[in-house]
Amino acid sequence: MLTIDKYAYNNEIASWSPSVKGLLWLVGMIIAFQPILLLKIVFLPIAVIYTLHVVHVTLHQYLKWFYAVIPFVALSIIGIAFTMSPSPKNVYGAIHLFGNYFGLAKSMMPMTLELSFRIITAIVCTYWFALTTPFQQIILLFKHLHFPSLLIEETLLMYRFIFIFVDSFEQIYRAQELRFGYASLGLSVHSAAILGKMLFEQVIINYQKMTYALDAKIFQGEFAVQENKI
Amino acid sequence: MIELQDVDFAYDDHQVLKDVSLTLGKPGQNVIGLIGQNGSGKSTMFLNLVGILKPTSGRILLDGQPLKYDKKSLTHLRQKVCIVFQDSEQQLFYSIVKDDIAFALHNLKLPQDEVVARVRKVLKQLDIEHLKDRPIQYLSGGQKKRVAIAGILVLKSEWLLLDEPTAGLDPDGKQRMITLIKGLAANGQKILISSHDMDFMYEIGDYFYLLQHGNIVKQGDKKTAFADDKLLSECSLEQPWLMKLHQRLGLPLYEHADAMFEDEQLIHTLSAIQ
Repeated sequence: MLTIDKYAYNNEIASWSPSVKGLLWLVGMIIAFQPILLLKIVFLPIAVIYTLHVVHVTLHQYLKWFYAVIPFVALSIIGIAFTMSPSPKNVYGAIHLFGNYFGLAKSMMPMTLELSFRIITAIVCTYWFALTTPFQQIILLFKHLHFPSLLIEETLLMYRFIFIFVDSFEQIYRAQELRFGYASLGLSVHSAAILGKMLFEQVIINYQKMTYALDAKIFQGEFAVQENKI
Repeated sequence: MIELQDVDFAYDDHQVLKDVSLTLGKPGQNVIGLIGQNGSGKSTMFLNLVGILKPTSGRILLDGQPLKYDKKSLTHLRQKVCIVFQDSEQQLFYSIVKDDIAFALHNLKLPQDEVVARVRKVLKQLDIEHLKDRPIQYLSGGQKKRVAIAGILVLKSEWLLLDEPTAGLDPDGKQRMITLIKGLAANGQKILISSHDMDFMYEIGDYFYLLQHGNIVKQGDKKTAFADDKLLSECSLEQPWLMKLHQRLGLPLYEHADAMFEDEQLIHTLSAIQ
């Protein structure tokens, strides 16, 4: 998912004002949550095609990013769409189970359709925002919206250090894998435990180094967030 | 001028610096090298010099005044003596290069115009103007190192402490580092460098201190500090190759590699042998 970050810096509208992009995202979310289904059906392909165009990404790659959210969406929809009923008339594809009938609930179909489009429209809008807005613009948007500075600082540091964390994870994992650390289930559990331990130790060591670096840079307890017009 | 007087430092029971006394910043010593193997106490000495660690005994003087460890004095000290750590990753906090370079200046609450002017100047000085809007996580190791140095140079400190500046750099990155340090020194910047990269140290340093198990075992200019091959071996270090050529083959002792390759007399003599 971190590749999304790379696209955020290298798309055709990366330099647009974060406020404009934030506003457009909001409009998209309003369309997603308003009740007229037709509007969503029209809006959805336009938003997808526009994202593919400005981000210069293939449809195949774009759809791959949905793998991360599809299990959650599918679980929610399955929970609503499938039901048990005492009468086979109430469900499509009825299967007789324990004296009842299991299948797609006829009465829930309009709601399932509505919910699916709502979720997909919201995800497409959010992906458009994430793929076109560099991180520092998101931080500036938070600042304009008067989010608490503690929240902004935390977000800023988490974003910066998540890459270091992922990098450490990959290095340790590769080193273990090359020495057959994940050759069997037992070994995998053992290696995963060592991986967790090493990451934790590194976090402690890195924290110390970071504290030294903050001291050297005369840190006064607050990370300044402002646009440097350089 | 920085003076260390009988400085000892220990982490709990582990003695790291032992009775270290030295004076940094004498005339003609703009680039000073602190040489020693891993674990010899180089980084610990640096942390003592910027007031992050406090000597167990002895004292450190800056311009004749002993270091004080209250917040105001430390802020003052860290504007005069600045450090760039070995690991660039741990000292870059912002996602965009220009924001990170401006970080220390915002901490000092300098006016925005001053911040912009200083950052622009340093970007130009280090030849990284093209990186100013780039996300830090996608820079190369050498580029990150330059950004880390830029973030410190904006403070316009009198002293610059570089901890293992060539660690992890490719030959091009190392050459750029040499050019950068020479350029800074030419502008009067006082630089203290810790490293065990002997050829690099030989090329850029004016004066050297050899550290072994927390003791200063030798000091002097190029001719003196690198002359004793046996002592360097005991410290798990190696003589610079120019010194080896001088001592073992009887060639003149050149200041740097280019001086040797441009020596007409040497070229003529070697051609005659062929």
